[in-house]
Parts: sequence; C-alpha cells; structure tokens
Amino acid sequence: MKLDRREFIKQAAIGSALATAGSLFPGISFGSWNRLAGGPGVLAWQKTPCRFCGTGCGLLVGVSDGRAVAVKGDPNCTVNKGLCCMKGYHSVQALYGRDRITTAKVRKNGTLVEVPISEALNLVAEKLKETRDTYGKDSVAMYGSGQWTIPDGYVASKLFKGCLGTNNVEANARLCMASAVTGFMTSFGLDEPMGCYEDIDHADVFVTWGNNMAEMHPVLFSRMLSNRKRRAGVKIIDFATRFTRTSQAADKTIIFKPQTDLAVANSICYEIIKNNWVNDNFVNEHVSFHKGKTNIGYGTEDHFTFSDSAETIDFEAFKLFLEDYTPEKVEKISGVPAEEIKYLASLYGNPSLKVTSFWCMGMNQHTRGTWINNLVYNIHLLVGKISTPGNSPFSLTGQPSACGTVREVGTLTHKLPHGVVMNENDRQMAAEIWQVPVENIDPKPSYHTVEMFRALDRGDIKFMWIQVTNPMVTMPNLRRYRDGALKDDRFVVVSDVYPTPTTDVADVILPAAMWIEQEGMFGNSERRTQHFAQIVDPPGEAMSDTWQIIEVAKRLGFEKQFPWSQDNYIEPIWEEYRRFHTGPKHEMAPYTVLAERSGVQWPFVDGRETRWRYNPAYDPACKNDKDFDFYGKKDNRAWIWARPYEPAAESPDEEYNFWLNTGRVIEHWHTGSMTRRVPVLHNAVPSSYVEIHPEDAADLGVVNGELVKIISRRGELTMPAQINGRGVPVRGMVFVPFFDESYLINEVTLDAFCPISKQPDYKKCAVRLEKA
Amino acid sequence: MMKTHAHHSRGAPLSLLVVSLLLPLATLLGGAATATASDVPDNFDNQGKKLFTAQQRTPTANLSADSGGRTLAEFYALRQYPGSPPRIPHVVDLAFSGNETDCLSCHGKGGYSTEFDAFAPVTPHPENVLCTQCHAQTKTGEPFVETDWVSIAAPKLGLSFLGSSPPPIPHSLQLRENCIACHTGPGAVVEIRIDHASRGDCRQCHAAVPQSQPLTEFTRK
Ligand code: SF4
Repeated sequence: MKLDRREFIKQAAIGSALATAGSLFPGISFGSWNRLAGGPGVLAWQKTPCRFCGTGCGLLVGVSDGRAVAVKGDPNCTVNKGLCCMKGYHSVQALYGRDRITTAKVRKNGTLVEVPISEALNLVAEKLKETRDTYGKDSVAMYGSGQWTIPDGYVASKLFKGCLGTNNVEANARLCMASAVTGFMTSFGLDEPMGCYEDIDHADVFVTWGNNMAEMHPVLFSRMLSNRKRRAGVKIIDFATRFTRTSQAADKTIIFKPQTDLAVANSICYEIIKNNWVNDNFVNEHVSFHKGKTNIGYGTEDHFTFSDSAETIDFEAFKLFLEDYTPEKVEKISGVPAEEIKYLASLYGNPSLKVTSFWCMGMNQHTRGTWINNLVYNIHLLVGKISTPGNSPFSLTGQPSACGTVREVGTLTHKLPHGVVMNENDRQMAAEIWQVPVENIDPKPSYHTVEMFRALDRGDIKFMWIQVTNPMVTMPNLRRYRDGALKDDRFVVVSDVYPTPTTDVADVILPAAMWIEQEGMFGNSERRTQHFAQIVDPPGEAMSDTWQIIEVAKRLGFEKQFPWSQDNYIEPIWEEYRRFHTGPKHEMAPYTVLAERSGVQWPFVDGRETRWRYNPAYDPACKNDKDFDFYGKKDNRAWIWARPYEPAAESPDEEYNFWLNTGRVIEHWHTGSMTRRVPVLHNAVPSSYVEIHPEDAADLGVVNGELVKIISRRGELTMPAQINGRGVPVRGMVFVPFFDESYLINEVTLDAFCPISKQPDYKKCAVRLEKA
Repeated sequence: MMKTHAHHSRGAPLSLLVVSLLLPLATLLGGAATATASDVPDNFDNQGKKLFTAQQRTPTANLSADSGGRTLAEFYALRQYPGSPPRIPHVVDLAFSGNETDCLSCHGKGGYSTEFDAFAPVTPHPENVLCTQCHAQTKTGEPFVETDWVSIAAPKLGLSFLGSSPPPIPHSLQLRENCIACHTGPGAVVEIRIDHASRGDCRQCHAAVPQSQPLTEFTRK
C-alpha cells in the first residue's frame, strides 16, 4: 500500500488525536495506570517553567479533571520555542509517585509518627525559639535550594536575616554556582550573564569548557546543533576531561588533565597577545588589570577563612605574568598539545569569528572556581568578544532558580536581596523594606554551606531547617555530615515531597507542595523570571515552602513582617521583593506582566527586556556614551585578573592513583528523588555505575557490569562498572553519576572548596580501585 | 530495589527475544552477553557520534522529504524477527558482488533509483562495509523443509508514557544508533518517519526504553 501525502497526514492526525492527554493507548503495557473517571475530560493548557534544569524551558501543562496529564513545549517561550527534553516532557509524572509525602511526621522516641501539619509547625517554631534562647541566634539555620521558588527564598531570608538576626541562610546553589557569582563579581562587579540564549543563533564558534551540555542543558545544545546545520561554518569545540555525549557531537574534542584548564586559559591569552590579536581599542577603553593573592588553600579544615585582596597592575605586568604559560610549557602541565592550544587561541583571536563559551559545573565545582571563571572572561575581554550577539562568555547555571532565588534574592550567608550584609546602605535598605530595626541585620556573614554542616556536626548549630534539597546525598565527604546531623541534640526539619536519605535523618518532616501545586516564580540562566500559577492542588496536607515559613514566622510573633493571607501571598511578596531591584541595572517586571508572559528578562525597563547588558544598543543602564559601559565596577571597566595555575586539593598519587569525577546524566535530575519516580526516566537509567576506561578495566580484570570497589581516604563504595558506555573517561579517571541513593558516591568525595566562592569541587579527588 | 511488573507482557516471551537478538549480534561484535550486577544495559548508548554525524551530513531537504514509498509491513516482511538483518529484496547484479561497498552507492546516502523506481533505504551502519556478511540474497522462495519458527511481535508504535510526550525508543540501539538513517528522508518507512530531525539530538527527548526489557518501578531500599 502506498499512502499519498495527504492520506498519510490524515492518518497521522488520527494517531496524534489518540495520543492527546488523558486517552492513553488502550491495552498497552504501560497502560496499567488508573484512568481518569469520565474519560479524558476537558484539557486546559497552562504555562510554567520546567521543574528541572537551569535552561528554564517554558512548558505548557495539560490539565484534566484537576490533574496534570500532559506536557508540551511552550511555543511562546523564547528559551525553547516549543521543544523540551525528556525530563520536561515527563515532568508532571513526578507529581504522582505513590510514596508522596502528604502528611507531617514527627520523630517520637526514635520513630516518625504522623501528626497534623499545624502540630508539626508548632513544634518547629517551639524548637527554633528554644534553641535560639538557649544557644544564641547563630545556633539555628536554614538550608534551602536553587529549586526554591523566588518567594520561598525571599521569606526565608526575611525571617532569618531580618527577623531572627542570623546570617545562617544558605542554599544548595552554593554547591552549584557560587564560583560563577564570585567570577562575575570580581570581573564585572555585577552577577549574572551579559548575554542571552539568542547568542546561540549568532555565534560561529562554541567552546564548551568542561561542560557536557548535550546532557545537562540539552535544549540549548540541540539549538547549537540546529544552528550548525543551518548556518555554514559553525563549529563546536568540546574542551573536556572525559568523552561525553557532547564529545560525540562536537567537531573537535580537546582533552585536558583535571584542574589544568587554568593553565590552558592563560596560555590562550599568551597566544592572543603574542599574535597581536588583542582588541586594543576595547582593552584601552573598557578593561583594567589586577592580581590577587596566590597559594590560597583548599578549605578542608574547620574554620578555614580567606579573603582576597585586589592589586591593580598594568598590561605589561599581565604580559609578564603570562610568560609562564607558553603553549609548550602548558602542554607539559595539561597534556593538551601546544598546537591545540594555539588552535583554540586562533578561534578566539580571529576577528571575523563570533565566539561563545559555555560552562557550568566543570568550572564552578573547582577549588579554583573563581579563578577559572575570571580566566575565561580574560580571554573574551582581550579580544573584545563580549556583550554583543554571538560573542558571549556564558556561565550556565544548573538549577531552575539558582539565579532567581539564590543569586537574585541572595539566600547566601553574606547576601541580602540587594547587596551584602557587610554594607551599611544595603542593610538600611533591607531593614526599611522588611520593617525591622537595622540592628537586626548582622553585618558579619556566618557559615557558608560546607562550614554550616561542619557547624552542625560540631554542635555550633543545633537546629537546621532544610527545604527542597537532599544534602544527605549531595554533601561532599558525606559521612561526616550525616553523622553530624544524627547527633543527639541536633534538631533537623526537612520539607520535601518524597522520602529521601535527608528525610531519613529528620526530626520533623513537613509535606511540601511541589512546583505547579503552588504559585511561584523561578529565574533561569539568562536573567529570565518565570511565573507559574498554581495549576493543580497539592496532595493531603502538603503546603508550599513559602507558606510553611510564613506559618512559623507568625508563630514566632512576626505577623507584622508576614501579614499576608493564604489566599493571596505571592503577588504582594513579589511586589515587596521587587523594591530591592529598582533602577535600570536590575529592574524586575511587575507581577501582572510576569503572570501574562512566558518569562521576562531583567533588567525590565520601560516595558522592554534587556537581552545584552553593558551594550548601549540594548542596555538602558549604559550611561558613558561609549560603545560599552561596564558599569558594575567603580572604574567603569571590566577586570582582567592575573590568576595562576595551582594544583587540585587532592591529586592521584601512588596509593590513590585515579581521579574521581562525579556528575549527572540527562535522564535524572540531581539526586533522582523526582526523576526516579518518572517511569520512562527510571527505566532508561535505573541505577548508577562507575565509568572506567576500557584499558583500566582490563588491567583491573573487570568486564562491563562487574563490581568495582572505589576507595578514597574518606570512604569506599562498591558499584557496577560501565565500560564504553555513553561517557568514557580517560585512563586514570573514573566517573560516577550521583543520582542514585543506593550508591552514595559522596561518601568518597572530598569537601575541599574554592577559598573565594566556598563552592566544593565534586570533580576531583583521588581514589583507588579494586575488583570487588 | 527494582520491582519487576509481572503483568507487563510485551506480546512474546522475553527469553525468545534475548536468544534471537543477542546471540547473533554479540557474535558479530566479538563480545558475549555476561551476567552482570548492573541494571544499565551493556553497550549503553556509546555510539551517539553516528547520529550527530548523520545530522550534519544529511542534506536539510532529505531530513524532511517523504515519498510514502515504504510501509512497516513491507519493512518487517524482509525480516525473520524484529531486529534481524533484512534480506536483500532485489536482484544483485553479478558484476556487483565482487565489491560489497558498492551497496553503499545507493544505501549509504539514499536517494532515488531509476532502476528500482524507488528511494533507497539508508543503512544506519555504513561503517560495516561487508554487507553480505549479514544481509542475505534471495535465490529461491521455496523452503528446504517447513519450519515451526515463530517470531515475536514488532515493537508497538506510539507508546508514549503520557499523552503528548515523545515516545521512548522501543528497540535496542545496537547497530541502530543512527536514528536519522531509518526515521527520516524519502526512503524511510512512512509509519516511523519524522520530519523534525534538524534539531539533531534525538535522544534529548526520546529515552531508550527497549520494549524487550521488563518495565521496573523505583522503590527505596
Ligand atoms: S530539564 Fe532543562 S532542558 Fe529539559 S525541558 Fe527542563 S528546562 Fe528544558
């Protein structure tokens, strides 16, 4: 039978009508789930950002009979223009795992018993107050998330910093983008990218720096592929420590030894200067040169402190500094052939090529994370390839609202919604908007995340409230922090949607509303704020994290600061928060605009979004009448930093002779607590494994699937080998996805961090292997 | 940790498929199926480069062109079981057989053949140039003796996990990592042809969940 095109389309249309939401294929093997009573019902589509990665795709969620039943890409959202990845498409199934936490639980004589949520909230408030009265204001802490909604983070900060007067507010985004922030602050004086995803449609060359974008930011990656297909001469260069799906797609993969990206970046600058590729006009007008401290340590000991100091240098001094980084010298450090370093430099140096660099965890989870961020900015600044369409040093963020909630709201110990606690004006502003005495806000930052969990272990912190994150899987050097959390007089409150290793250590579990079961906003990697309405009801007594905090705040006597009603609290919270960002550098869209649109980019000035910052053609905050205005720094310039190569905190040696690298796979989001409850994702990658190079596996005598014991100075773990799988590490390195709570790889990792950003390095520590 | 759904029947005994599918292919690749402690399939998605190369090489027009010339029924008629190498359905010129790579002159990139008045299907694995190692010519339609062979059912189409979501990849990816070869262009089978391949990374949306594996559900230990 031959179908003509029209007949085929007709048949296809019948097929897709069958596939619309609610009417699952009858009689098929997946189809054992319950059907909605009364058939498919009327389907309404409602917009929301995706629950998962920092790309921030716009989704349309199909709703029928009060249940989310389908997802399609939102064609009105410029992030993804109607396309999603497999996590987004199946995201709504994560709402309906059978073991959803729907009631509050309180530990009584060692066992968790169900209680009404109001009783659990009473206990949380009592315990918080009692701990604070007995041990002081800094004995209580809040640990949140880049998956908090913006209102979640805002009320947490207001309660803890404004009302309770402690700077013990941190979020898991410390583990994911703190180095990106300190990189931006030190190079530009203002956080978050100058460019936007539209850069992908203009760049000629993409360099991914230690960034497996094909799996971690898939929708952006395939936008690159489709540009390469559509436009002549587009190239993707994968600069990596292991072969990944991104390497499979790249035009060229350049492998470097872990940590030596620092040396290679400097070498690229050396070559750019040597070959006279420096954009002199740009550098003279818009750049100043600086150096900071060296030999800055790794933070593996308790109470570690460090503060950098900047010294201005001149171009000649910078040139002299780069003498140590000739391609030939750097080849010896990095294993990257000098020719390839020169090739990379020539791409950045060629004035007719637009270059976009992408990075995420490879550069941020790095004991010199701030430095490597600075160094990649250096490259772009030397050649002036920045803040114009297609020329973009682009720091991607991992979580859906790491930017929106953690970076912009400032849910980190040193931050306020505008500025930092150390700054008196910033404290004044916060006190005024929050209606608290300015003395409430402590001018001294307290604990960053790793130190906060150390303080919990030591007993300096006795009460911790954890929301929307799973630190008992994700903390590096995990065993110490789990033992700490389990100590007798520690009180741990966990708000979550499913049982996890973190709820296992909780004294109180609060059932949380998830994603579209509440109203809220996220903020993605390209300064885009995305509002979602409550689309379905939360199950049982589940309550939004925002409202949980407000309930506790009211119980502690802060009605004045938290006056809102449960019927309408997101809009007033947003409008209050927005006051912190008034002005053309960070103006946020009003609630009514957010509610209507599929995301709005800030600065949102006079009804217009800002796509490229620091460029007067796009950015109304530019005031200097020049072609660029880097207004974040007092000298109105972007800062180039002389930052040396320094080795990793722990490198392979005789005894522990392998690198251990950890990360994600496309199918699973972080610790898998949501995606493992999505059938298709779980079935695609049901459990974790350790990737080993085939030659190393042969030496060890293991074949695919056999068990390998991974041993570090901190702990050990036995898991199946994956040889020649999707990712293939180089010889002497193993890689483990961390989504699987049955294989807690973070018991093996090291809690060393970047002394400037305090972000731990999950990509490098030393292990040895045994056949199990 | 993993709980197998006993009631998930995929239309044929699993063992049949494992025996019929894995053995010849494992032999072909010089490997052998091993009992392992891992739930993650052997050969887990390691040949993705083929897909990306195909996306780059295939002319844009061919990514969406359609001839409607082949149907799934015709496709399976050439196979002993789903996943087996199809037999060669046409006469092969004697002069041709001395050099098997000549097959690729039509089946490497596809395109219209005046000789057969049809669009040639594209092979997903052009790097294996000894085509007749697996693909047999047909000299007679007569069986030597009758056989009691039964095949399993072909993977069902459109098994999305929920309405509007992209269906997972229902078959093993071994030797078929290049989605573009079979699922796009005028030589593609109409029922499985798509025209959105320009985005290039099929597995961004389509997860590999072969129907020959039992479905499991996550439960905490
Ligand atoms: S997980 Fe990321 S890439 Fe995938 S749909 Fe969600 S936001 Fe988009």
